[in-house]
Amino acid sequence: MRLAGWLTMRVAAAAATLIALSAVVFWATEELPGDAVGTSAGPNATDAERAAIRVSLGLDRPAGERYLEWIGQAMRGDLGESLLTGRDVGEIIGDRLSTSAAVLLPAAVVIVVLAVGLGAAAGLRVGGRWDRALSAITLGLVGSSDFLLATALLVVFTAWWPVLPAVALVPAGEELWEHPDLVALPAIALALGGFGAAMRLLRASVAQTADTGFAEFARLNGIRGVRYVWMVVANAAPSALHGLSIVLAGLLGGSIVVETLFNVPGIGFELSQAVAERDVPLVQGLSLTLGAATLTILLAGDLCAAMLGRHQAHPPGVA
Amino acid sequence: MKSTTARNLAAAVTVGALLAAAGCSEGDPAGSSKSAERTLRAAFAGGGSSETLNYLAGPTALDFVRAKLVHAPLCELDPKAPDGVSYGVVETITASEDLKTYTLRVRDGVKFTDGKLLTSADVLYSLRAPMLLKGLPFTMLISRNFDMDAASAPDASTVILPAKSPIADGREVICQTTLAIPDKTTEFTTSTPSSGPFTIESFEPGQSTLLKRNDSYYGQAPALEKIELRSIPDGSARVNALRQGQVDFISAVGPAEAKTLETADGLKVTNSELPYASYLQYTMNIKAKPFDDPRVREAFRLAVDRKRIVQNVYYGRAFVGNDIPALGFPSYNTALAQRGHDPERAKQLLTEAGAAGIKVELTAGPEMPGMVETATLIIEDLKAIGVQATLRELPAGQLFADYPAYLSWPFKAGYTPPAYFEINHAPGTFPDVDALVLTARSAVTGQERLTASHQAQKLLWEKGNQIAPVFVPTINAASDRVDGVRELQFPDLSRVTLRN
Amino acid sequence: MTLRRLPVLMMSSLVLIIAVCGPWLSAVDPDTPVAGPFETSSGVHLLGTDVLGRDTLARVLVGGRALITQAAVATVLGSMIGLTVGLWVSMTRRRTAARFAVLGVDALAVFPAMLLLLVLAAGLPGGGAAVVAASVLVSVPFSVRVIRERATAIVATDHARSALARGDALTVRLRYDVLPALAPAALAEAGIRLVAAVQVAATAGFLGLGASAPTANWGRMVQENSAGITVNPLPVLVPAALLVVLAVGVTFLLDHITGPLLGERDRVGPDMVGVAR
Repeated sequence: MRLAGWLTMRVAAAAATLIALSAVVFWATEELPGDAVGTSAGPNATDAERAAIRVSLGLDRPAGERYLEWIGQAMRGDLGESLLTGRDVGEIIGDRLSTSAAVLLPAAVVIVVLAVGLGAAAGLRVGGRWDRALSAITLGLVGSSDFLLATALLVVFTAWWPVLPAVALVPAGEELWEHPDLVALPAIALALGGFGAAMRLLRASVAQTADTGFAEFARLNGIRGVRYVWMVVANAAPSALHGLSIVLAGLLGGSIVVETLFNVPGIGFELSQAVAERDVPLVQGLSLTLGAATLTILLAGDLCAAMLGRHQAHPPGVA
Repeated sequence: MKSTTARNLAAAVTVGALLAAAGCSEGDPAGSSKSAERTLRAAFAGGGSSETLNYLAGPTALDFVRAKLVHAPLCELDPKAPDGVSYGVVETITASEDLKTYTLRVRDGVKFTDGKLLTSADVLYSLRAPMLLKGLPFTMLISRNFDMDAASAPDASTVILPAKSPIADGREVICQTTLAIPDKTTEFTTSTPSSGPFTIESFEPGQSTLLKRNDSYYGQAPALEKIELRSIPDGSARVNALRQGQVDFISAVGPAEAKTLETADGLKVTNSELPYASYLQYTMNIKAKPFDDPRVREAFRLAVDRKRIVQNVYYGRAFVGNDIPALGFPSYNTALAQRGHDPERAKQLLTEAGAAGIKVELTAGPEMPGMVETATLIIEDLKAIGVQATLRELPAGQLFADYPAYLSWPFKAGYTPPAYFEINHAPGTFPDVDALVLTARSAVTGQERLTASHQAQKLLWEKGNQIAPVFVPTINAASDRVDGVRELQFPDLSRVTLRN
Repeated sequence: MTLRRLPVLMMSSLVLIIAVCGPWLSAVDPDTPVAGPFETSSGVHLLGTDVLGRDTLARVLVGGRALITQAAVATVLGSMIGLTVGLWVSMTRRRTAARFAVLGVDALAVFPAMLLLLVLAAGLPGGGAAVVAASVLVSVPFSVRVIRERATAIVATDHARSALARGDALTVRLRYDVLPALAPAALAEAGIRLVAAVQVAATAGFLGLGASAPTANWGRMVQENSAGITVNPLPVLVPAALLVVLAVGVTFLLDHITGPLLGERDRVGPDMVGVAR
């Protein structure tokens, strides 16, 4: 019952956050120098032509009025149309979201699997050979920005070892997820970036748990092998989950660089173009989608942590 | 005991990771090679998913290339042809003696893909379409020059266009961008009837367009069965796609990338020749100090080392400019001396103008290959004559976003696609030049027009406000199986052949 | 352990020195072309030339300072905001106001870092301000969270409670009870954000959103010279390596300076670096 109440609160807060986000994004895009008239008219238009475009895009009306109209429509599920070409924003987001997901989900799965596995292995034997080797590798990964990792992968796989396609070109009429070979490089680039951070979190958390009196007690009571590992990992998970969910949510934001370099036409890629073109409804729709996805991941992380925490015999090492 | 557990676990995890990696790496690098051999796969810098088939609203190179493959042009600019244009679905264009009326004769027997004959009504509608369908300003050239409300189609093969004022270059105006679409077309879908060498089989905004040969095309039948146009906005991603054989042809290659592609096996790099090179210009606002003084403008133009720009920015793939537009077009004034690199004279001029050591800020953005890099070299050249020059670099897509602000900046980068000087001259800076351009467009004899045009260019060369160090061609690269690309401003792929 | 730490420490200190003092060490003008583009290493140009024929070594030497400066400014600003908000939230008696403040700060975390950077760079082009602002905004939620958690724990100790019961003034409690205990965590947390901010600044350079050309920037160098990597790889490899060594070095330092101070239990270790990013 308490969980339900907590969940309701969180969802309400998330909704409020999204509305605030939409207002801030609208205001910011509005405040930017230039508008969709400038970007669509190009350099050789006359003033009269510019004015005509402004009226036809509805940009001659006050910003407040346009925002209220937009939010009213958005509440009913209509995200409006692209200022530049009149395509339905909801439709664009649908296309882009599935493409982004095709890269993000495998990356997330790889991160979680490797981070939990290797993190547990290293955390159970702090200071061991495994731990030291993994620490060095993950330190290097954490120290490398997404763009360095992506550029390195591109160089390796275009110049020296061309076994994977460097550009995500999906054959017409098909979806990106149908082509694991195309997904591979961008997903690996994202996974490498996130894996370092996630694994170190898990490691620290497992190490802390293994260090508690509770784990000591279990060992003294003869709990060994897989049962022991599972017990420690399960107890370490809640405290790592929050960080892990932040790492996974961070993939969404970091994907702009990776999507551009590998030509994955996803959300981040589309967003950078929409900002450049001052396509306000599209920027709004895309950033709301990103925001909602981030909130969902964070919420899911907290929810999992709370559920795990409730079923535990003993609280984990840290709050 | 604990250690064995950890080792087992680690081993299990490693195996899992390897399996996961193997799962990801299935398939061959040229994943899409299963497409038919006679399909050309070509990549361009296209738009995002807001892309539309309405070519009147599409600003990218991809929009333009696709539109020309799908919709037959009325006629095309062709500086080498006697009329300055080559004809398409319009057979001839004749001007009246007084240069006030133009008569277009429609070619017989041209059919749309739905089997209907193309008539004068379609041509008239095509000419009006930019106004009716909210075309982008660059499509508005016709309505700026002709009174489209008074235009008429007296019979099935004749269209009459009254000019707003007498002009001699009406043909070039009509032929700059107009494509033939059926009368009353209001939206563009994959099934909209068309008249070009290809038809659209499928279209995914921001990703790909699959074109199929149009067997009822009136002109020379294309050798290719299909063309797949891909949108790859990032320049190095395009190059990677070509290197790995994911596409056969790419357009808009950066100069540095062209240099490294030249040595790659099985690939060739080409660029468009004059006059198909964009006019890259750095404009000094004569309403702002210190550019109100013609000596300062001349000093800045003399300071620029054009050869170094051609070598270091464009790796030789650019044409040295002489500070006037339309290099390579028939009316270009070749009698003017090429302005050289003379920092000493530049310093002297600045001192005379009392502008030694002034501060200027040049605004540029990555809107065409080498625009920012050229700007950085210009800044260095200006520093060498004692000017405290700085560069303000805007992110991609921002340079023209706030156009009134752009106009007000004292010193800024810009570019003009390859086009006739006279038609595309923007008046308002030098009244004497404007008057000469008007004569150059409307005088009765060709000789009078040419003289006036040359005179206008001479004035611009002497006191003008633009530094035009280079003309920039479009660089394309292709697998060497690809032949027959016509390298215009944007490549024309309609006559391409693909060897096995 | 100390012996193994030494090379890493030396390397990262060297990178920091290059970044900060590089502009004074450079004998060649980093912005003027000195030869043809992408010439390979020679006696005159140790690292060869870059995409425009400029001396790579000179550009490497000047390309780090802006990154470090932007990151440092962002870190200091972020620490100030994080400490103020975090302490207020954990010490105030107005619980409802505090809860809303936390909600508000957490809402910031919803903004994708790159969206912020794109929008800010479009509004404030050509300078470091957008980069600093984006770094601060992105990292503040993290900072507030860490400081709040630590401070709440400190305030709850018997020692701090007795100070409150004694009726010590707020400034006195901060000065003697809270801040000393908070310092290691705050320092570690600032270090993590420093690494993240360097990465934001480098990414901004890579995307062409940072300081205008011709300003050298290690991130930007990777991007603009990658076309010539088969001809002269040094203009890409050297700045990339410097960026990695810098980040790893700072992270490593954090691990070994603040780790012992905080103890394994309360560590705000380098494990959080990726999180703050």
